[in-house]
Amino acid sequence: MSSRRRRESSRTNISEEQITQLLSTLRQLLPEIPHSHSHKASSAAKVLKQTCNYIKTLHREVDDLSDRLSQLLATIDADSAEAAIIRSLLI
Amino acid sequence: MRSPFSLKQEFLKKWILGLQRCRSSKKNMSIFERKKVIKLSADVAMASARKGTTCWSRALIADAVKEGNADKHLAEKILGPASERQPTEKVPVGAMAYNKRIRSKKILKRSSVIRRTIKFAPQAARPSSIVKTLVGKRRQILRSLIPGGEFMNGVSLIEETLDYIISLRAQVDVMRSLASASKLVNLN
Repeated sequence: MSSRRRRESSRTNISEEQITQLLSTLRQLLPEIPHSHSHKASSAAKVLKQTCNYIKTLHREVDDLSDRLSQLLATIDADSAEAAIIRSLLI
Repeated sequence: MRSPFSLKQEFLKKWILGLQRCRSSKKNMSIFERKKVIKLSADVAMASARKGTTCWSRALIADAVKEGNADKHLAEKILGPASERQPTEKVPVGAMAYNKRIRSKKILKRSSVIRRTIKFAPQAARPSSIVKTLVGKRRQILRSLIPGGEFMNGVSLIEETLDYIISLRAQVDVMRSLASASKLVNLN
């Protein structure tokens, strides 16, 4: 019984390390919030909360951009010529 | 680390391809229709740029073409002929159950929240504080935001989140560049 507990706790430790590493990578991806209260030590919970908010923001941006593009791209028919131009502009 | 630039190129290429596949459907689409095509082809392009290597990308495409989805035909058109579609061999073992579960997702959602909370309560005493933060409402929200999130856990959930955010950012960047470039072209 105790050996099982020890094994399980070591398993937890390994994934805890992985999770810590992943969370720090996640933290770097998130946009800086200048007015946030926490300084360096943002808790894992805070990172997750910021992550959820960030994903929601990105979803909203995609939606907004789709709106704008549907108005700007007059017809999708004309895309091939414009798309070629735009592709060369972007690359 | 995958190069972000090549991801954008891959996305743009697939997105334009998807848009072109919808070109012939209607001559004069309403703005609403057009927006749907643009958004759906962008999402599908973003997912297929991952070539089936991540769970969220497979889930996104599976969701788009599942039975009962209002835009199923549109999604199938964007994806193109079946021969060109991404391989789905990496779909998890419970694929059949997965599809069935997706259908009754909304109905099960409330009951599953209760079920999961009860399931994890006895473990809450043992894991460390970090693992504990992955239980509960925040994890639930995160899972609802990521396609296929209901079937991910712990480490894989965060890995998928990372990849999803990177892909979303690439998608937003490309769409934004296209919007400003289109504006310039339209001004002439």
